Amino acid sequence: MSGRRGGNRIRGPQSALTDFLAANNISAAQIRDDYERRRQQAEQDAADAGEGPSNQTPEQNDDEALAAAAQAEEAEKKTKKRKRTEKDAIDKIKNAKATKKGKGKKKGKKDEEDDEDGDDDADYDDDFGMYKKARPAPGQFEHCDICNKRFTVTPYSKEGPDGGLLCTPCGKELSKDVKKEQKAATKSAGTGRKRRKVESDRLDGIAVGGAKSLSQLCIQKVAQHHDDIEELGDLPPSVLERLSEIFSKKRVMKSKTLPLFLRPDLDSVIVHDAAYLEEEDYRQIFAIVPNVRKLVLSNTCQLKDGAIDYMLERCHDLRHIQLYAANLVSEGMWHRVFREAGGKLECLKLSWLDAAFEDLVVQDMVKYCPKLERLKLKLCRRLGEDAVTSISDLPELKHLSLQISQNVSTPVLVNLVEKRGSGLQTLSLEKFIDADDSVVGAIHDNCIQLSKLRLSENDTVTDAGYTALFTDWDNPPLKFADFNSTRDIDNNNSGGPEDAIGLASSGFRALMEHSGASLRHLHIASCRHIELSAFMDVFNGAQNYPALEYINMSFCNRADTSVVAGIFKSCPALKQLVAFGCFDVQDVVVPRNVALIGVPRAQDAIEQFGIGIGVDEAISRMVEVTT
Amino acid sequence: MASSSDYVTLVSNDGFSFVVQRSAACISPVIKRMLDPKGAFMEARDNTCTLQNINGMVLEKVCEYVYYHEKHKDARDVPDMDFPTELCLELLMASDYLNI
Repeated sequence: MSGRRGGNRIRGPQSALTDFLAANNISAAQIRDDYERRRQQAEQDAADAGEGPSNQTPEQNDDEALAAAAQAEEAEKKTKKRKRTEKDAIDKIKNAKATKKGKGKKKGKKDEEDDEDGDDDADYDDDFGMYKKARPAPGQFEHCDICNKRFTVTPYSKEGPDGGLLCTPCGKELSKDVKKEQKAATKSAGTGRKRRKVESDRLDGIAVGGAKSLSQLCIQKVAQHHDDIEELGDLPPSVLERLSEIFSKKRVMKSKTLPLFLRPDLDSVIVHDAAYLEEEDYRQIFAIVPNVRKLVLSNTCQLKDGAIDYMLERCHDLRHIQLYAANLVSEGMWHRVFREAGGKLECLKLSWLDAAFEDLVVQDMVKYCPKLERLKLKLCRRLGEDAVTSISDLPELKHLSLQISQNVSTPVLVNLVEKRGSGLQTLSLEKFIDADDSVVGAIHDNCIQLSKLRLSENDTVTDAGYTALFTDWDNPPLKFADFNSTRDIDNNNSGGPEDAIGLASSGFRALMEHSGASLRHLHIASCRHIELSAFMDVFNGAQNYPALEYINMSFCNRADTSVVAGIFKSCPALKQLVAFGCFDVQDVVVPRNVALIGVPRAQDAIEQFGIGIGVDEAISRMVEVTT
Repeated sequence: MASSSDYVTLVSNDGFSFVVQRSAACISPVIKRMLDPKGAFMEARDNTCTLQNINGMVLEKVCEYVYYHEKHKDARDVPDMDFPTELCLELLMASDYLNI
């Protein structure tokens, strides 16, 4: 009613709806008028008349002109918006008509049988388009597209998938879905996760600066889509190995994906994570690849006697057996393995055996595997001194790696070194805590071909012993030296005794003097008795260590920034320097191609990579900083 | 023809040829050796390498890769190049052959 316009007070005979609308400054009469007008406009193809607002103003009373004017402006805005939506609707209808005409034409050109259908469709669509509802004005009631409930249209009502409007809850749901989709699309390239992944890849040595190799990208993609692959085709064995490595890493090496790596012409089967493989899968391996020479299965928790039995039956050419964590294989079966397959066996690597594998088996092994050249026995809980004694009798032994949990007395070790030392190229004795200077002395006296030496986690051998080892030693320079965690462990005396225990200053100097020329890998973590002066003497820039690629000096807390600078200078081939716990190393500028890991500063990443700076420039920058 | 032109041609086994910059193509040591002017290979004379075991689609991705590699040589946190999954295995074989 015109008299009620602009009033907030409810008066006289008015419907509740009109009251409500009036409370929101919407006039029911106005809406009705607009609707009539719109209907007329929809039937013409005329442009905007612009008559709407001006038509209404003369109807107002003078004393309500102001309020009316204000409302008229608002109404004008609304009508403009409505006109826009109407125009869109009209355009849509026009377009729909046009396409239908086109469709009709196309359909007309088709065969006669299609004519009728085409015409029918065109007619139907045309009619539908003609009477398509325009968007109702705010305030009107409308049925929700999805749930069909009646609701009041507001300016914020969302449009449903079919073009109609949605009630508020359905609208909220729709927008939530849309938001989720958008999030999924953008967050999949989430920056935080990506950066961590890049750093993790770098620590794995996959990409040091620059782009990844194409092989690496392809392998990653294959691992991502491992479910969809049916066959790997004719990939060369090296690529196959890398693929199996990454499958194992992503823990997707299962019954389904295993056959991809089995081909009758292969001579090695390498599965680094066989945890998901079952009895059937092991039989399958031996069935498909009977000529296997090199068998590497790690985490083979489900490997049982039956599968081993089948293996002994099918595979007669085994030269290299590497089984980690094969705990379900019984003692008797181990005996059988060596008796039947030992003849050709050249390499045996076993670790993490708790339940079986005792000294007697080692005796059998020595007896039946005369050609054994490489032996690695680690973390086999039942092995003890007798095993070591037996091993001393292996004639062809070249590479020996032992970590035995039970106590092995020093004379037994000395005996081992004396008997086999001359032929050994690799000697690794881990966690022989009580081995003393006599062992090292035996190494000095007997080993003349060693290229890899590891004596780690020991707190008895003295620095003097190490110095004696590397002085006047007939052995050519080592390539791999690992003396990590050789130090005195006494919580009451953290500085260590007077006569240093473990690899300390003089031992370190002697080591580098003896082997510096060809040393590639140096691991001296936790040798905390090495003094700063020793580091400075060894890595003073004048010395050159041309082959040194990897240095781990974590927890050698006497080392500082100048040592690191010296290392950069002295080691042109350096790729990785690990220095956890070296708190005096600060403000390092890392040259190109070098990865520095473990030097902490609050705002830096845990690893720093040299980008595009040469060694000299890096050092000069560091010197500027420190001086 | 100049003895060391700036651009070289890579030809796939199904007849597609791709003209790429020499510096990009020589990221692959195999191609580099083929095109080495000091070597006696025919490819070095024509500045064209015919790769008999790589087809057109895969070679196109290889060319894209060499440019991507060159562009991001010294950068950090490089985003991975994208390629269709169907090409994956053939691309893997090609990358293994070309050692890139």
